[in-house]
Amino acid sequence: MENRSHPNPQPSRYVFRTTGVCPAEIHFQLIDGRLSNIRFVGGGCPGNAQLVARLLEGKPAVQVAEELKGIACRESTSCPDQLSQAIRDAQEGRLKTAESFLVHSDPTPRSRVALIGDLSDAADMIQRLIVLCRQRAVEAIYCLGNLTGRGASSKAIFKALRKDYVTGILGAADWSSAQTASGGEQPFLNTQEKDQLIQLPHVVQFQLGSWKAVAFFGQYLQQLPGYSDFDPFAIEINMVCGLTNFMQDEAVFPALEAMASQFQADLVLFSQPRSWGHWRVGGKDFISVGPAWDGGQMAWGLLEAGTDGALFQTILEPFHP
Amino acid sequence: MAESVRVLPEDIQKLIEVHQWDMRTRLGVQRFRELKARSLPSVALDGELVYEAIIPPQEELIEAIQKRYAAKNPADVGSP
Repeated sequence: MENRSHPNPQPSRYVFRTTGVCPAEIHFQLIDGRLSNIRFVGGGCPGNAQLVARLLEGKPAVQVAEELKGIACRESTSCPDQLSQAIRDAQEGRLKTAESFLVHSDPTPRSRVALIGDLSDAADMIQRLIVLCRQRAVEAIYCLGNLTGRGASSKAIFKALRKDYVTGILGAADWSSAQTASGGEQPFLNTQEKDQLIQLPHVVQFQLGSWKAVAFFGQYLQQLPGYSDFDPFAIEINMVCGLTNFMQDEAVFPALEAMASQFQADLVLFSQPRSWGHWRVGGKDFISVGPAWDGGQMAWGLLEAGTDGALFQTILEPFHP
Repeated sequence: MAESVRVLPEDIQKLIEVHQWDMRTRLGVQRFRELKARSLPSVALDGELVYEAIIPPQEELIEAIQKRYAAKNPADVGSP
């Protein structure tokens, strides 16, 4: 009997925390012993960092580690020296592979939270949305992505994220933009903003009353390097994105019901379809979070803990810039 | 469901090649959707969805397998 459940091997992704240099982290991948997608994240000289990354793309890691070792910039180390250290740590097992996606766990149990969906057409109204959410006495605000849009108004989002008004997770466009230090899908974002994006989680989990909730954007998670069907919450992601097509295919709900007992989460929140919806299948709540700018109004979701599950409503508010 | 296939008699096992998909995985979900299945467990024979949400009695499953085998191998029908 053949079991065809395991996907092909993926590139190994690493996140190295530096010492003595400007960037806080170096992100890179190893594919068959060759370097790929090198990013110096969180500071430093962006031009030189890109130069290094481009020149080293596809080069044998062992050779690069040897050639860069000992280059000094300050405090007897440098970005290339730190990359050399990171490669050696990875190859000698001291640096473990990074999770394919980052899960942020909200440490505080909640009973009433706000959900904000796609902000790409509504970034300039984030402050107003935050005020409206607070007026309804929510304890936390989760933005499920996309966070950034095509314009300078995304700066308001970064301010809100920095001040911890909201917990943001990466949407597909956010993630795509964060992959390159310059240019990309949203070239107006500066390097500092892209560094801030790439350090955001892809998934957030939180406790709502006695219910465990997980929130994510959608399908791009399954294409991340190293994504495993056995990652935390991968079953929820696979069932929502793959099996049910974001709950649009009701014919497969009997199968979803059969799989629900294997979920880690009781509430599954997602935002890729840019539409609002709430389903209860197999004792689990599934919530589709629509865009923040919906039909000429601001829109957000109010989620409360109920005795039998989640209580969810969409709040629509007029917006006068 | 896998167990019901595993315990089929040896002469039937010789006629078939069994593939099992794990529904937790993307490959499993992809195959499930290709077969246009809706429930679990599901059994397909020669790529055709035959049983959904039930584990068929062994005699019924054997009969379905033999029927398909005979259709594809008419020269073998009646031979020991």
